[in-house]
Amino acid sequence: MSEVPDNLSYTKGHEWVFVQEDGKIKVGITDHAQDSLSDVVFVELPEVGDQFSKDEAMAVAESVKAASDIYAPISGKITAINEKLEESPELVNESPYEFGWMVVMKPHGEIKGLLDAESYRDSID
Amino acid sequence: MANFAGWEMPIQYKGIIAEHKSVRENAGIFDVSHMGQIFVRGRQTIDFLSYVTTWDMNRQKENDCRYCHILNHEGKIIDDVIVYTLSSEEYMVVPNASMISTIFPWLLENSAKFDVKIEDFSNEFFCLALQGPDTPRLLGQHQNTSVSPFTSVRDGDTIISGTGYTGELGCEIIGPYSEAAFHWESLIDMGAEPVGLGARDTLRLEKGFLLSGQDFDGTQTSMETGYSWVIDWNHDFIGKEALLSEKSESSPKLCGIILEDRGVIRPGFRVYYKGKPISSLTSGSLSPSLKKGIGLAYLDIPLNSNVTVDVRGNHLNGRVVRLPFL
Repeated sequence: MSEVPDNLSYTKGHEWVFVQEDGKIKVGITDHAQDSLSDVVFVELPEVGDQFSKDEAMAVAESVKAASDIYAPISGKITAINEKLEESPELVNESPYEFGWMVVMKPHGEIKGLLDAESYRDSID
Repeated sequence: MANFAGWEMPIQYKGIIAEHKSVRENAGIFDVSHMGQIFVRGRQTIDFLSYVTTWDMNRQKENDCRYCHILNHEGKIIDDVIVYTLSSEEYMVVPNASMISTIFPWLLENSAKFDVKIEDFSNEFFCLALQGPDTPRLLGQHQNTSVSPFTSVRDGDTIISGTGYTGELGCEIIGPYSEAAFHWESLIDMGAEPVGLGARDTLRLEKGFLLSGQDFDGTQTSMETGYSWVIDWNHDFIGKEALLSEKSESSPKLCGIILEDRGVIRPGFRVYYKGKPISSLTSGSLSPSLKKGIGLAYLDIPLNSNVTVDVRGNHLNGRVVRLPFL
């Protein structure tokens, strides 16, 4: 059974979103997603300053067998990336909600259209 | 990540990297029952199989297993097979799963002049591959037997051969389906780790072993794949004439590419040399042992040349290397 923390928001595409106090959002992939991907061996992240529209591919997580796009959960600008993932992509598997985070984004406008923990749990059952 | 494209069937049990490591360091077990088992029996079995493969079966001793190629009349590889000499009048040919429906009729079609009987038992036999340095211990415990590389031992309906697709010490156990579960469970109880198709691919790729339908697809010769040693020129076989007529012509050969930049390269990615696209990868993955991207491509540039591989628009640096990678 995958872990789905109550304090996060989610997308149908298996990203989690944490709304920080400063209004920016931190994004990663869910426990369910990392488990399905299995060993993440490479993460291709965007650059700080890049802008993405909602649902646009912004990063790629590669396992031995496949590459999976990770989509922007909302429109916004990248303000930080998790540089540790370059050396240690396995953090995505080991700690998907903490050390395996991928980017921080500054949203363009309102944060909407995300699932709460309960709805996301239902979607992966 | 709405689309998890690329996930196929159970490619793994515990995880590709852990399974890969088990095989390199201890022992893993693969269910490869999809592989074919075609039996050839009769007075002219040796002559027939020498004619339809690149190897002269007169050179086989009883219980020998031989890796060789089956060529078409143009000298191109139809499939790579292992030929088992069970006795002078009974041989078993093991083709790749996807090629059984091609190889079986091809053998029948070319057998008219030979006194042989060809039967496909692929749907009646399992095949389990036990691979890794612990194989001798496990096989001894399980079956009270041992087997040398490229030979086989027979115990009733069960055939055990010193063969595999990982480059490690290992064996393959072939027998009637009803006994598959017994062998699988017993070997896992003794400590063999179950391994899926994902690690099967990374294990074989590190050793430069060919994947049928991917590294050759009916348009390459054995020489182009770098496997000229499978050909015994001192006998007549289908495809020989065509090969002799073009033997001197140079053509691209299958080479290894190892990435110097971080990244994973995959089949179909374009290879660039001096800024120009020159080939595409036939195989590619991340090597769990080397922790680097590795791939295969048909190239006619020198070893150690610097190339780039186009990974979603980024050109990652790599180098042409001799096979195997490991």
